[in-house]
Amino acid sequence: MIRAEEIYFSIGTFELRRLSIDIAEGEYFILLGPPGSGKTIFLECLCGLKKIRSGRIIIDGCDVTALEPRRRGIGYVPQDYALFPHLSVERNITFGLRVHGYAEMNIIETADLLGIRHLLSRSVDGLSGGEKQRVALARALVLKPKILLLDEPVCALDEVTRQQVCAQLSDIQRRLGLTTVHVSHNLEEAFSVADRAAILHDGLLQQVGTLDELLRRPNSEFVARFMRCENLFCSEVIGRGARDSDSRVKLGGIELQISGRHSGKLMLMIRPEDLLVRPASRHNGKGENIIRATLVRWRDCGGYVRVELDEPIRLVAHMTHAEFADLHEKHHTDVVAELDLNNIHVLPQ
Amino acid sequence: MRTDANIPVRGWRDRVFSAAVFFFVSVFIVFVLGLILTDVFYVDKKAIVTVLTSRFILHALWMSIWTSFMTTFIALLFAVPMGYALSRFRFPGRILAEAVVDLPIVFPPLVAGLTLLVFFSQTAVGKWIQDGLGLEFVFQPKGIVLCQFVAAASFAIRSAKTAFDDVDRRYENVALTLGCTQWGSFRRISLPLARNGIIAGGILTWARAFGLFGPLMIFVGSFRGRTEVLSTTIFLEQSIGNLEVALAIALLLILVALIAVTAIRLVGGSALVKL
Repeated sequence: MIRAEEIYFSIGTFELRRLSIDIAEGEYFILLGPPGSGKTIFLECLCGLKKIRSGRIIIDGCDVTALEPRRRGIGYVPQDYALFPHLSVERNITFGLRVHGYAEMNIIETADLLGIRHLLSRSVDGLSGGEKQRVALARALVLKPKILLLDEPVCALDEVTRQQVCAQLSDIQRRLGLTTVHVSHNLEEAFSVADRAAILHDGLLQQVGTLDELLRRPNSEFVARFMRCENLFCSEVIGRGARDSDSRVKLGGIELQISGRHSGKLMLMIRPEDLLVRPASRHNGKGENIIRATLVRWRDCGGYVRVELDEPIRLVAHMTHAEFADLHEKHHTDVVAELDLNNIHVLPQ
Repeated sequence: MRTDANIPVRGWRDRVFSAAVFFFVSVFIVFVLGLILTDVFYVDKKAIVTVLTSRFILHALWMSIWTSFMTTFIALLFAVPMGYALSRFRFPGRILAEAVVDLPIVFPPLVAGLTLLVFFSQTAVGKWIQDGLGLEFVFQPKGIVLCQFVAAASFAIRSAKTAFDDVDRRYENVALTLGCTQWGSFRRISLPLARNGIIAGGILTWARAFGLFGPLMIFVGSFRGRTEVLSTTIFLEQSIGNLEVALAIALLLILVALIAVTAIRLVGGSALVKL
């Protein structure tokens, strides 16, 4: 549906460097990256608001690189929504229809879809963030575009409204079968709406894949850190593992078994939720990949407890409240962290 | 509207600051009103009757009104596209273009009259316009509009540019994705949003044109019943010793200005707030 081929764009010292992405029809695709990574610029290139220096943009099999924004059939919701301040909610929504000469067309269906019928006569000044977001969405959807581009559509909303709007976006996308590209820097948002994602950093595409792939199989240290993995270690292969197909590595003062045959120096990643932390007194200390450590700090993060272990290596683990209660009530600081060798990911060199 | 609920709690330092600020406001307003009142008390009934019955003075009043409004109209005709171009497009020589636009604001208005006179009477192009095309400006009523335009249009252009600068470009971008051409987004989005700033520029232009004196004396002179406007009439009356009549005309000038500025403000909403 959308194919970006080797897109190059530069403005000042910033460059979008040879960016290529394929987005399938009806897919909900999310573009992730820290602020200033070029996500908004990429969206603006897609809808023709920025002219790319080289490369091609293909939509539905047609090369639209040289087409004006109005001819691309794209609905665009910018960051902060950009509702026209001199027009009422209804005039904002019907703006595109009036431009195309369909002023008499009924917008009630779209207004009902987004639950904003009661706002139609209002001025945009007094709307809340969530209402503005839905009006901006209605303004884009009323023209029945094939593609919807959303630039940080929920970043200005509170947590509860954000969840509601994400659910609504996902629902609308499925009902209308829209190909959607959503820009965000928020992982929770990505997991609540997207099928696939890409991570952009400093104008360079880092990785494209399902969210699970990005989470479990990052291709770089940047992607791993962006996906909130803090357990990244430099290690060295010191021999074969217990099975011939595994390897033994040394990191810090400990030895671990990892899956697969490797050699030389490696960068390892361990997801914090893959570490099983137990009181040392309840474990005989034998077995593979058992790390004896000291619990130094913990923080309740709402849905889970983040614990920090130290000595011999610094590890971060996410525990359920029930697991942590057992550890905490008995004031255990000597713990063991267990991990499956299949959960140790080797980052490509 | 600002209500008591919007005012923060103030300490004595804040009150001193407010008092200091309002001191300057009061001094200025009292000074200007004092000057006007001096004129009011100085003028006698006979002078007012003379002003209101003199065919030449009423003609000068009419000339002042129509030329200044015509100048404002032409200035806005230039200001809107120029303001948009200077605000939205990056082109070689843009800095120079902006400097040229600002020039008439900086140099003394007298220079405008002098330059126009030299251009139309001494250069081949000027002579061709006057003689070849038959567009006579020197010492002609048309010259009043041209002279006012040169001296005052910069205010309209500068205000329009600032007004377009204040319009968030994202609005235009969204309009483009909703089916507008650049002209469409200008007409439907940028122009309505810049409206107040443009009107404010129009008011400044009109005010400058309405009260223009020096360059008009040089370029079109002050011929009774032909190129005389209120500002030049004041000078002529004062120069022949009719001080009361000159002051009565000045009061008429102030009254017309007050009516015009109030009317434009009513039509243009908050335009004057931007002045």
